[in-house]
Amino acid sequence: MPTMEVDGKKITFEGKKMILQACLDAGVELPHYCYHSGLSVVASCRICLVEAEHPNPKDPTQMIKIPKLIPSCQTPAMDGMKVYSKSPKAAANQKAVMEFLLINHPLDCPVCDQAGECSLQDYSYKYGRAESRFEEDKAKKPKKDIGPHVLLYSDRCIMCTRCVRFTHEISGTGELAVFGRGHKEEINVFQGRPLDNPLSGNVVDICPVGALLDKDMLFTQRVWFLKSTPSISPFSSGGENVFIEHNQGRIYRIKPRFNAEINKWWISDEIRYGWKFVHENRLSKLVVGGREEIAWETAEAHLDGMMRKTVAEKGPGSTALVLSAFDTTEEMYLAAKWIRGIDRQAWLVLNPPRVDGTDQTFKNPVTGAITYVIRAEKAPNRRGAEKIISHFSGNTCELSDLAAKVAGGAFGAAAVVLDPVPGTDRAVETALTGLDNLAVLSSRPTALTGRAALALPVCTWAEKSGVFENFAGRIQAFDRAIEPLENTRCSGAIFWSLLGESGTYRSQDGRLMMGREGLPDYAGVTVPKREKKVQLMEFSPL
Amino acid sequence: MAYAGPVLLKRIPDDPAQRKLYRYADYIATGGYASLKKVLAMLPEDVIKLVVDSGLRGRGGAGFPCGTKWTFLPKDLFPRYLAVNFDESEPGTFKDRYLIDHDPHILLEGIAIAAFANKISTSYIYIRGEYHHEAKLLEAALAEAYEHGIFGQKHPGTDIVSHCYVHRGAGAYICGEETGLLESLEGKRGWPRIKPPFPAVAGAFAKPTIINNVETLACLPAIVEHGAAWFKTMGTPSSSGPKLFGVSGHVNKPGVFEEELGIKMSTLIEKYAGGVKGGKYRAAIPGGVSMGVLGTDQYDAELDFDIGRKYNVLGLGTAGVIVMNDKTDLVVMLRNIVRFFAHESCGQCTPCREGTAWMHKILNRIVDGFGQPQDFDVLAELCLTMGAMPGTTICGLADGANWAVKTFLQKFPEDFKSRLKSRQVQGVAVTGAVVA
Repeated sequence: MPTMEVDGKKITFEGKKMILQACLDAGVELPHYCYHSGLSVVASCRICLVEAEHPNPKDPTQMIKIPKLIPSCQTPAMDGMKVYSKSPKAAANQKAVMEFLLINHPLDCPVCDQAGECSLQDYSYKYGRAESRFEEDKAKKPKKDIGPHVLLYSDRCIMCTRCVRFTHEISGTGELAVFGRGHKEEINVFQGRPLDNPLSGNVVDICPVGALLDKDMLFTQRVWFLKSTPSISPFSSGGENVFIEHNQGRIYRIKPRFNAEINKWWISDEIRYGWKFVHENRLSKLVVGGREEIAWETAEAHLDGMMRKTVAEKGPGSTALVLSAFDTTEEMYLAAKWIRGIDRQAWLVLNPPRVDGTDQTFKNPVTGAITYVIRAEKAPNRRGAEKIISHFSGNTCELSDLAAKVAGGAFGAAAVVLDPVPGTDRAVETALTGLDNLAVLSSRPTALTGRAALALPVCTWAEKSGVFENFAGRIQAFDRAIEPLENTRCSGAIFWSLLGESGTYRSQDGRLMMGREGLPDYAGVTVPKREKKVQLMEFSPL
Repeated sequence: MAYAGPVLLKRIPDDPAQRKLYRYADYIATGGYASLKKVLAMLPEDVIKLVVDSGLRGRGGAGFPCGTKWTFLPKDLFPRYLAVNFDESEPGTFKDRYLIDHDPHILLEGIAIAAFANKISTSYIYIRGEYHHEAKLLEAALAEAYEHGIFGQKHPGTDIVSHCYVHRGAGAYICGEETGLLESLEGKRGWPRIKPPFPAVAGAFAKPTIINNVETLACLPAIVEHGAAWFKTMGTPSSSGPKLFGVSGHVNKPGVFEEELGIKMSTLIEKYAGGVKGGKYRAAIPGGVSMGVLGTDQYDAELDFDIGRKYNVLGLGTAGVIVMNDKTDLVVMLRNIVRFFAHESCGQCTPCREGTAWMHKILNRIVDGFGQPQDFDVLAELCLTMGAMPGTTICGLADGANWAVKTFLQKFPEDFKSRLKSRQVQGVAVTGAVVA
């Protein structure tokens, strides 16, 4: 494998790569602003310049020193190359570029949302100078509202044009452009064409400074308080990898997590801004018969008793379990196992998730390469639910067929897990019209929880762990980000204790159980490690 | 050295009253398109060899050997394009305009020769946005050329039809940079491209492209007519041929003059431009403001492509000489130059975008009388940190600004230092109060 030496450290790389990308892949940090692995190379910020020497192709024992500074983002890595990013010449350039970038920067870090995760701040400490020599007036540029989700503070902008390239190469919508020239140039939208596309929030992520700001997050939290938990998108069947960023039990934002095979660096706005249901309009009381509040132990016994009584009265096949495609696979397994333990012929029904038209595909208009797909199916785990239902086989039916069975009087009771977001409520209500012995597990109050014999408040995805299986059958685990809302439990915990298992429910126990009981795919799935977000600052002598 | 009379300006007499526009018929009557006819009977390779042998170097500023540039085209990649750089926007440069104003067909003949030699399918004349009149002249001349089969015909022995178009820019200096020109030609923002790929491999519309200056192409008919050896009799061994020199500034008779390369600047000023006006010679810019300045003791500098090495300037550039007499305020002059670069910086690379504007602001302050001693050092440091030569920018625009600042500071330091005062001293002078 070709190797390269960067500041005395040997790194290996594969295939055709630029020096900067090879370094980043090997975990060696070179400063860069305009370069982004997912976008085209423009080599315009000029902070990634390095000195380099490479072997003479005619005589590999001799090294040829490249006389100029070279942009590491644009120069292909060569076997045997030596790269110096801390040489006096390279360091002087880093210092100069930092000074240039800061002379017209407002330095309003105390009121800037990016502060704490800002490349300008980090590199300023690492590569910049302590004092400014700029005595002139700073150029003043306006703050602009450029779209439904994004603000542009032009005065903080360093013209890396990552956002412009994103709208041209990834979303293919081209709303952003550079206007003006020289030191007066600004990024802007065209008149009457706001930055309004289903991927618009990504420009905030790729902005290395605080120029592009998320209206949703604006001034709500300093980023150094945020804890970041790797998770899986709970809204679509793509299985997009995300970070849940939260503090003190409250989510503040969702950020994309790189996954080369699924979402790359991006997520859609519906995933980014769809987490609000976690904190809004939650069901937090256990209700029996629409009125009485009871404790969890009583409620679980009540649920179990209701089903057993129905089976005793009406015989096998008189109960049903309606599963939600928003639940984790383990939870569905435990629920199905529980009800089949009571009623061997219990009906297993999947509440089919909402499907919005067809998949929305984004392409690079020039190369035609697919850059992102927004899945039409708006639930994360339909495949998991189907797998569980087919695993237990026996009596299964469509939700729409349930209504006839209820009307025919064959049913006595049903346990329903409701979706955490509205959309399929009406279908479930219709299917279960006239059924009185109804136990509803829901994270929010709905018409069904109002009329249910037993309504139990459950957790949302951010408050529990487990696995989702995406449209392509990819099983991905995620961890709990925040503590469950007071008085709520995840459905897995409810059925875990109803099954008579001891101890607190943990999703890996559920997966081990599934592995033992004929679903070996799940036993080995592990939760991604929490990534250390804050890097230790490294000061290099200049 | 044997310069026997005008080659490029042979149809443009010295006396303004006798100058006229040469249309197709006039051009033919004075021997025009004879070289093209001669070329069409030759092999394309022989034409390229002829141009290589002539030692013709690019007249646009960099002085890159024209024939060598042509040989960079990949052998089997077609179509190929020719972009004619007529984005003449360097302050002090007006030679191409003068030529086209009177003799547009000499350019078209040069283009036709280059197109044949390199099997070019389409030639684009990229003309500066402000050149309204010249654009109309070229359009008219082009229509005549099409009418008489200069363009719109197949190159002999190939299936490639040669076309030529005039493309008007929108008035940006940066579009005279060759890759900025190509971007602009494609209808994009005129931001210079990162290289590789080089234009010879993937230029306009990602196809192999040659970019040549107007004057370079205008030399071709004469080279074909008289041969490479004749061309080499003019100029110096490394800089052969005749050259258009535009002289402006403090001279009695500013204008465009033709001479062989390597003549002394003093000769040019005194013999052709009528001597320095309003005082004695103090400084001169050899070729467009980006080349830097020649000092008082460099009056006799030889104007050829080696001038940069010999006289500590960036190069010959476009040979648009700006003469300054001893009453010129060089600080104001430099401020004006830097203002130009700050205004014309395309804004792509950080050092140039921020640095040129910063230098302009500092010079503004110095001119306004608020200069401080450290400003000299800041200016001197700034102009060393940015540019394509140290490698910190994509194109050479910042180099132009730097060389102007650098050479002014090096050759006339006292003009600047005498204006710089520390703030305390100023305070005393203005208020009379003692500053502790």
